[in-house]
Amino acid sequence: MPPKGSRKLSTIAPKHTLVLDNGAYTLKAGLVPAASTDLSYDSCTVIPNCIARSTRDKCTYVASELIHCKDFGELAFRRPVEKGFIVNWEAEKAIWEHEFVESTAGEGLMCDPKETNLLLTEKPNCPKELQKNCDEIVFEQFEFAAYHRSVGATFCAYTSADGSSLSSLPQECLLIIDTSYSDATILPIYSGQLIQSAVRRLNIGGKLLTNYLKELSSLRHYNMMEETYLLNEIKEAVSFVTSSKEQFSRDLERTWKGRLGDKRDLDTSIVVDYVLPDYEGSIHGYARPHDPVKSRMRRGLQPQQGPREDLLPVGNERFAVPELLFNPSDIGIQEAGLPEAIVQALGTLPEALKLAFLSNIVVVGGNSLIPGFMERLESELRMLVPDNYLLGIARADDPIKHTWLGAARFASQPDLLKHVLVSKAEYDENGSTWLAKKFAATAGR
Amino acid sequence: MPHVEVLPNSASAAAPGWTYVVDTGYDPSKVAINPKDRKRAAARPGARSDNELSARQQTAIARRIAELERDNDPKQSIAIAGKHATPKTQNARRIIQYQRQIKHWLDDEEAQLQQAPAPRTAQSSRRVGTMASIPPTPSEATPGPITPRPSATQADPSTQVDPLLSIDNLMPPPLDKAELDALLAAPPLSYAASHVGPPAPGGPPQRHFCDNCGYWGKIKCLRCGARVCGLECKEAHEATRCLKWA
Repeated sequence: MPPKGSRKLSTIAPKHTLVLDNGAYTLKAGLVPAASTDLSYDSCTVIPNCIARSTRDKCTYVASELIHCKDFGELAFRRPVEKGFIVNWEAEKAIWEHEFVESTAGEGLMCDPKETNLLLTEKPNCPKELQKNCDEIVFEQFEFAAYHRSVGATFCAYTSADGSSLSSLPQECLLIIDTSYSDATILPIYSGQLIQSAVRRLNIGGKLLTNYLKELSSLRHYNMMEETYLLNEIKEAVSFVTSSKEQFSRDLERTWKGRLGDKRDLDTSIVVDYVLPDYEGSIHGYARPHDPVKSRMRRGLQPQQGPREDLLPVGNERFAVPELLFNPSDIGIQEAGLPEAIVQALGTLPEALKLAFLSNIVVVGGNSLIPGFMERLESELRMLVPDNYLLGIARADDPIKHTWLGAARFASQPDLLKHVLVSKAEYDENGSTWLAKKFAATAGR
Repeated sequence: MPHVEVLPNSASAAAPGWTYVVDTGYDPSKVAINPKDRKRAAARPGARSDNELSARQQTAIARRIAELERDNDPKQSIAIAGKHATPKTQNARRIIQYQRQIKHWLDDEEAQLQQAPAPRTAQSSRRVGTMASIPPTPSEATPGPITPRPSATQADPSTQVDPLLSIDNLMPPPLDKAELDALLAAPPLSYAASHVGPPAPGGPPQRHFCDNCGYWGKIKCLRCGARVCGLECKEAHEATRCLKWA
């Protein structure tokens, strides 16, 4: 342990910061030099946060190695992040080392932790034990020079929805809707500080939607329970959100096969055939309008013509799956839909704040990319808030990297950063309990 | 010939090994074991309404949701290949070797909150304390936070305007600094406490979908209560998913 007087000398912060938005599905990472002004979404690298193993080619893919994978059939994933929190440090450590420390690190990401600051984002309402584990690993295993951990959405206050503005002052009132892989969270942020008592979480995330589509396709067509990667790809390719509940009923009608003896033609503008990849000639599948002849050939009712291909018809699954975000009760989850959840979260706040938050809503997270999501959210929310309230709702230009960009903007401003960073020397002196308290106190600065 | 009749008394009654008992109606402990009087139960007033679920259905739904929300399959264990830096400290070694899943940590958190309610109440009473020590401001003195301050502007004749043109009722009361500080200082909720609540009771009823094809579930399976859309799907349902034997 260094003598007391030398502490001040040893806390000169390094010049660059590793900004890491540690999501359950992907890591968003980038090295940010101090006082850099040309930050954009392009400075961010998106890396799968998983270790995948294929039983077919007996290969293990760690994080970014997944792009070399040529056969996603029956690919099994190990994800260190569960429900948004880093749970399995054995896997997460391997991934961090692989991506940032060892020679396998991606271009522009390799760093020596001892000469780097770490700015790490987390999900709100994280169990304290897990936060403590995280702090201990960062300082004791990786030995980062200095470190700050905070709820990711708070950094969004430092950047505007289109990712253009650069200011050292946070936006005053900002409501972040983060609809991510694990869940959807509603985070009211006042001057860069999270109003903890009003944070609400809806347990429907991209993972649940993928698993639901997997279940439905397995029940209705082929057994796909092992094909998580493929079903995620199909979900991203074909799903959409209907514009209203009434439109949902109409679309459901149009995709119905009809009764016995009263068969109906499926509406080919909604029903699509997804051509499944065979992992020999093709790695990725694609969707095309439904062709009833092909479907009869598939079931052996008509002789096979043309090259053999495997088709997965996708009908009402296209819109019934993302509908869960708006009606979780459709599969029996006793939670309100996303628009009502927003109203619930704001219900605890004073009227003036509510007004301000509703006028500045920014949606981040991958689910917001589903076509129709924003329109449905806006129209349903409009119905729930008084009509004299202004409703300003926008999707971040790149909803996946937006939180990272906010954090990077924050990290590029040395005077903001130096208030929140905790150096390794301070940690060594005070321990992890002190550190947890300090982060809780400086949560919003 | 004398007529001999055996009068019933308590001592001589032959016990047939069974007895009539008063029918007290619904007995939940028996229904789950042998739900034979399903039709009678449905006809009985005050029985389960149409949209309520049986215990078996509820378990099935809960299990399904847990399955949909799962992050990692416990059956597949993927070893980490290659050699990696060894843990540098005792703490790090312990943390890296944890094999726990998120549900263990969340259960731990709940148990800790229940075990140690003392610091929590102390914290909340402190928050109440800071709230109470603030001198009441005009907006706090009004009955509710939503009520606009009506008298302040109307009392002043120079700013008095036609009440129809007044925008005062459209504006919420200004933000109270002390209230805001209390909001910002509030500690985070626990994971379980930050759930979204159930939908408002007056809202639209739950929608039911066909168990098989996803169309509206208009027909209820008599055996297990799941919904199907028509005969074709009912047959498929009985062949595969019916919970009768689950």
